[in-house]
Amino acid sequence: MAAVTLTPALEDYLETIYGLLRGQPVARVRDIARDRGVRPASVTPAVQRLAQMGLIRYERREHISLTPLGEEAARRVFSRHQLLTRLFSEVLGMGVKQAEVDACAMEHNLSSEAMDRLTRLFEFMRSCPRGEADFLPLLHGCPVFTEGAKCDRRCQGESCASAAVTLATVAPGIQVRVERVDAVGAIRRRLLDMGFLPGTELRVERRAPSGDPLWLRMDGFQVSLRKAEAAAVRVVPLSAPDGEDPSPSGPV
Amino acid sequence: MLLAGNPNSGKTTVFNGLTGGHEHVGNYPGCTVEKRTGHYLHAGRSFLVTDLPGAYGLTSYSPEETITRDAILKGGAAVVVVVVDATALRRSLVFLAQVLEAGANAVLCLNMSDEAHQAGQRLNLPEMERLLGIPVVETVGRQPRSLDVLREAVAKAATRAAGPSRVVLGVRQERAVRQVCDLLLKAQSGQISRWRAIQVLLDDPAAVAEFSEGTPGAALTLRAVARVRAALERETGQQADLLMTAAWYGFVDGLLREVTVSGVRPDARAVSDALDLVVAHPLLGLPFFLAAMYGVFWVTFSLGDYPMQWLDSGIGFLASAIAGAWPEATLPVLRSLVLDGIIGGVGGVLVFLPNIALLFLGLSFLEDSGYMARGAFLLDRFMHRFGLHGKSFIPMVTGLGCSIPGIMGTRILENERDRLTTMLVLPLMSCGARLPIWMLLIPAFCPPPWRAAALWLVYFFGAFLALLLALLLRRTLLRGDEAPFVMELPPYRLPTWRGAVQKVIERSWLYLRKAGTVILGISILLWVATTWPQPRHYRVDAEIPRGEVVVTDGLQAANLPDGVVALTPGEVAHRRAAEALECSVAGRVGRILEPLLSPLGFDWKLSVALVGALAAKEVFVSQMGVVYALGEGEPEREHLRERIARDYPASTGVALILFLLIATPCMATLAVTRRESGRWSFAFLQFFGLTAIGYGVAAAARFLIEALS
Repeated sequence: MAAVTLTPALEDYLETIYGLLRGQPVARVRDIARDRGVRPASVTPAVQRLAQMGLIRYERREHISLTPLGEEAARRVFSRHQLLTRLFSEVLGMGVKQAEVDACAMEHNLSSEAMDRLTRLFEFMRSCPRGEADFLPLLHGCPVFTEGAKCDRRCQGESCASAAVTLATVAPGIQVRVERVDAVGAIRRRLLDMGFLPGTELRVERRAPSGDPLWLRMDGFQVSLRKAEAAAVRVVPLSAPDGEDPSPSGPV
Repeated sequence: MLLAGNPNSGKTTVFNGLTGGHEHVGNYPGCTVEKRTGHYLHAGRSFLVTDLPGAYGLTSYSPEETITRDAILKGGAAVVVVVVDATALRRSLVFLAQVLEAGANAVLCLNMSDEAHQAGQRLNLPEMERLLGIPVVETVGRQPRSLDVLREAVAKAATRAAGPSRVVLGVRQERAVRQVCDLLLKAQSGQISRWRAIQVLLDDPAAVAEFSEGTPGAALTLRAVARVRAALERETGQQADLLMTAAWYGFVDGLLREVTVSGVRPDARAVSDALDLVVAHPLLGLPFFLAAMYGVFWVTFSLGDYPMQWLDSGIGFLASAIAGAWPEATLPVLRSLVLDGIIGGVGGVLVFLPNIALLFLGLSFLEDSGYMARGAFLLDRFMHRFGLHGKSFIPMVTGLGCSIPGIMGTRILENERDRLTTMLVLPLMSCGARLPIWMLLIPAFCPPPWRAAALWLVYFFGAFLALLLALLLRRTLLRGDEAPFVMELPPYRLPTWRGAVQKVIERSWLYLRKAGTVILGISILLWVATTWPQPRHYRVDAEIPRGEVVVTDGLQAANLPDGVVALTPGEVAHRRAAEALECSVAGRVGRILEPLLSPLGFDWKLSVALVGALAAKEVFVSQMGVVYALGEGEPEREHLRERIARDYPASTGVALILFLLIATPCMATLAVTRRESGRWSFAFLQFFGLTAIGYGVAAAARFLIEALS
């Protein structure tokens, strides 16, 4: 790993360029400017600096692409951003939008050691058989974590995961994450096909008059579910009711 | 090639765009799901397309999914095009993953890409193709030109075999799948697709049954598979089906992370959501729904009235023109056939074409815009109380246009009993064919300000009765478990004018064709039956010389001895014609039925018309037209309405309306019920049950009205 010290601003630019280049062969100064919400004139010095450092190629003063060195660096920045986002959203149970914002704020100051450990944390959660089943649900099931309550031993030493809420009792407007699907048979199959999996985020949009059925907003589509079936889906309310569709955040 | 995908992905629009109307609609053998096939030409070659029913997964939990599953696994199609709603990628791509695992030679079609682009979504297509190993194209189903890329991709894909599946599951899942593959291969020679292995691993009943058949020693292998599954579940602490689904979602999420340049903007569905705030509001939702339904009827009745009047006068003009130009003496029989039988009969039904077209237009707009799903959402709790499913609402509303597509539409209900119940009560949703009847009878017995409300009431009563009957059925004959209610709510989409008009033309054309064939045929038949045999002497002619009847010009009504009736020459002719009618075959049949129907206040003329209505409900109107045209003695089309109003009291009118609403579903309905339910017994149950109920309700209503007035 070449020791290239980038300022936070330059890192952001690199990140932007990387993002743009995933969809088109070259990035233009004006694309970068639009993406970052600045004027093209402000982009030029940064781009020149990056070119000086050998991270980008600056063709015809307009078209920008990444050098192999730059690609490496960009990827590192990008994965740091991703790890932090996942830390905030998946582990700490924050809404994805807020997680992104905070990730953006923190990523530049992350040491490589911190990044290393974070990577290992996620690797642990992915590979340890009990990581998926025990660690996160334990965390997300405890009111000390989810509500900031004081520990009152209501779980009596067992995990509070059993105190998790079901979709049937969630109030409209609340964003939740699925923890468990207890249904069986045809309804289970249907729920799984529709994407009701542990880790899926969704929002209870509203209820029909008389409280049944429920109207749920999933990722990219909306679904209606009866209370009786919703009761089979264990969920964890997320701290803040987010206003919009969550972006993909599948199971670990 | 096959077109597969989730429901609401625009598959059928793509199908229509590809085949351009060169399609054939039939049935899958051995079952009742609709099969649509068509063809198109590209680069000199002909491609056969089959539009598969929408499915959320390649499982066998409903007839549609089984069809799709079988077609993809066994069909031997050259190419499977997976049509996907580009704005709902995550879930849709899981279906694609399953198709890939099934070893299909797939092409991914990102439909509704215009909406996705507008919403801010940008994907790296070349990267996607590389990761999936299949061609990926973007289309806009509503714009047939955008389908050229799809045709190209399909043509290219057809020249190659399917590559190995690029779907990557988690480590443990992969290991388990491989183990099962090995086990299955040992027991059974031949290819085992990964998909089959996965299904056996998950203990899917259909896959297990398939495997057991024709494989000696299957039980041993299945036990070994069960051990693999148990080990997997123990290792992970999760159930196997969840693990697999999670693995697919994981794969899709990873894929999307790699290829998404920019995602869908959060406010992309702002308009749709704003609409839903009102439409699905806990308090406003239902009133809005009822208002919408009333609106459709109002448009049908009021707006349709104008073109209806024009058609009416047009046909009347035609009739009098012919009557004037064709002297009575020349070929009198043929003349009567044309004027009374054909124009009188078919004309009576054609006149209502504008109303029918408007009704179809209104309903198709509600359906295609996505509003129907909201309706089902609002009504589920209510329908559930009657033992029906919220989704039943959709075929039932379709039944308002015509029972036939309504009954066929019950296949969206996964539970057999829900389906049968909905099918049996569906004819109570007053269909389009009955509309001419209401347009005839309601104004006859109802003063103008109340007419729209009366029509609404008729429809409402039919629906209400349907629910009651459904409840009864669910408590008695069709008792059983209920299906889950998991229904997708598609975003509001403005239906294209072209699509809507096309649908309306299609359905109106069916109506016209029905008029041109069945109704024409029956009108002629009935004309024959009402004309012959002719009486040799007329009673009224005998009464005149005897002094029992005096012919006047209408003025000297007083000063007549008792028992003597004064008639104008016109009325005498009328009587003569009525007697001729009585003497005819139809008249005699009517007379025979009369005692049966007299509790309802029907006379033999109505009975005759009702018999005709068995074949097709519109025939009632046309037959009344024939009866009165002949009874008139002259082929002039005076308004039937007034004649009927004159001849029958309100109580009979109400009884008639009720009887026609409830009893004797038309032959076509019975045929479709038999086909969809697979049993004659259900069709008969429907027919006799509804007729008995109709009789009872009509008689009770008449009794009530007579008692009250």
